[in-house]
Formats: sequence, structure tokens, C-alpha cells
Amino acid sequence: MICRDLEGFTGLVEIGGVTMGRVYNHTPTGEHVMGKMDTSIKDSLDHVRAATQELHGAISDAVAKRGGATKADLEALAQKAKAAAESAKGSLSTQQDAVKKHLADAVTKLEATQQHITESLKSSGQTFQTSVQKALADARASAQKVSEAVAAKRSAASQQTKK
Amino acid sequence: MHNYVAVVFDDTSKAYEGLHALWQLDDAAEITVHGTAVVHRDDLGNFQVDTKETHPALATAVGVGVGALLGALAGPAGAAIGASGGAAIGAAAGGAVGVAADLDRADTRDQAAGETGFVLDAGQSAVIADVSEDWTSPIDTKMRSLGGTVYRRAKGDMEDDVWFDDYYIPSSYLYPYEYIPSSYPW
Repeated sequence: MICRDLEGFTGLVEIGGVTMGRVYNHTPTGEHVMGKMDTSIKDSLDHVRAATQELHGAISDAVAKRGGATKADLEALAQKAKAAAESAKGSLSTQQDAVKKHLADAVTKLEATQQHITESLKSSGQTFQTSVQKALADARASAQKVSEAVAAKRSAASQQTKK
Repeated sequence: MHNYVAVVFDDTSKAYEGLHALWQLDDAAEITVHGTAVVHRDDLGNFQVDTKETHPALATAVGVGVGALLGALAGPAGAAIGASGGAAIGAAAGGAVGVAADLDRADTRDQAAGETGFVLDAGQSAVIADVSEDWTSPIDTKMRSLGGTVYRRAKGDMEDDVWFDDYYIPSSYLYPYEYIPSSYPW
């Protein structure tokens, strides 16, 4: 199940095998299952989180492919990283200070991811492997930073509710 | 609170229910999940981390990382082993498995049980998660209803344990979304 609203938001397209959304009555197929897709109640930070999770999943899938990632895979991944970075940057101004720092860190990691993917397109052999693995590590770090931003936002909201 | 959580189940299918429940709690904004992994221990005592088939070097890194995380969850004794590489789980491509031999030593197990209570016995499975939670009750209540036992350590405590070993908590090897391997027999 692909969230059309999310596609519209990130400018991304479906990647084969990447399942988005929770399908509770569906037999899992061995792919990652990402954030619930009720976009009407999700804000921009949730969209950025879904985009970074999707990016990590897509790079991870490409690395896991028998024979490794293809040039087409890498070009698509570079676009995906760019779109995620732009989404994160676009969301920065609307966030509270506690959230901004994590999100800014995520942007840095997403830009590094994009750079590593671009480098991998120009390289081969061990250099290629190193670039792809660095891209995967930075994509993971970006997802972590965004989820920390989400946690900070939820915690702030929770504190406000208590008052 | 930023915590690492291990939820131990007696059977594998319950572990996946637990994994799913954790992400549902995240969806409901009760907690925020930063990453998860599912680890099994077979009847012979071997450990396996559920991961994608991937580059062998990367798969091994995942195994070593999650193995060290298990060690750190087990308390200072386990963290020391994790830091020295003794608790490493060698997960090769396709999910082949190594053994965390040092964590099996009776004295280490006793110490870990005394420090945190967290020991993964043969035949059990565990969901390992990196979470932010304002209250512990959402996870505790949900996991108890599924038959899981929750062990929890603050991220700061785990970092303190490993500080002098020049080691870091390798949470980067946890999946930042719900991942269920295709090999799982649903």
C-alpha cells in the first residue's frame, strides 16, 4: 500500500518491494513496513520521518540485491536522498527549537548520503562498496535524527498537556 | 527518557507480535521507536539476528553490533564482554550464525542476571529496541499482555558502562522501521 499523499509530498515514486503503511490483515512479505499513513493527521515531520525511513530501506534493499546495486538504483537513490533532504529543510522553519537541532543534523546526514551515492556512481570495486556502505550508514543516521526530532516534539507536547 | 529495551518471549511468533506492537505504540505517539531488531537463540544456544541478506562484511557488522548491544543490555559485565568483542554475534549473509560464547559463561550469566535480569535462554527470542518514552507503562503493559518480559536500561547508563572501554552503543544496526524477514514462516 503506497500513500499517494506522501508521494506527492516527497516527489518520490514507489520502489518495487517497498511496502508503506501498516496492513494488519496482510501476510508480511519480508519487506519493511513503515509509518501508518493517515496523512490527514500527520504533520511535515512525520512525512520527513517516513521519507528517511524509506530512503534507508531503499538503500538497504539495493545493497542486499544479489549482484549489488545497479546504476539505475543509485540514480534513483540519489534523487530520493535529495528529495528527503529538501523535505527536511522545508520542515525546519516550522519546528520548535528542541526539534530543530535534531532535524538540522538529519539534513546534514541526508546531504552526506546524497554525496556518497553520487561518489558511488563514479567509482568501482572497493571504493564503490565503501561509498555505498557510507551512504547506508548516513541514511540510517538521518532516520535516527528525525526520530529523535519526533521524540523531542512528542515529549514537548506531552509536557504541555501536563501543565 | 531514552532507553534500550529488550523484550524476551518464549516463542518466535510472539516476538514478532511484540515487534509489531512496539511500532503500533509509536504510531499512537505513546513512545518513539528509533530502531528495532529481533534476535533468536536456538535450542543449541546459537544466536541469530534477523536481517536482510546483504553484503557479508555488512552482515557481520550487524551481528557484531547487535551482539555488543545485547551485552550492554545485560549490564556492566555484559558490556565489558561486548566491548572486547566476546559477545559478538557473527551474522553472515543469509542469516548464518555464530555464538556469543563468553556471554554463556556461567559467571557472566549470573552477573548479568544479577545486574539487569536480562539473559536470553536457549529457545527464546527477543525484540531489542531503542526507544524514547515518557512513561514505561505503555511498553510494559502491552508486552506483558503478549507474554513478554521487559528489560530496560537507560541509554546513559549503557554509555557509562562502555565509556572506559572506548566503545560505543551500536544502535545504528537496528532497523529504523518495522522489518520482518521474508524467511519468517507466517
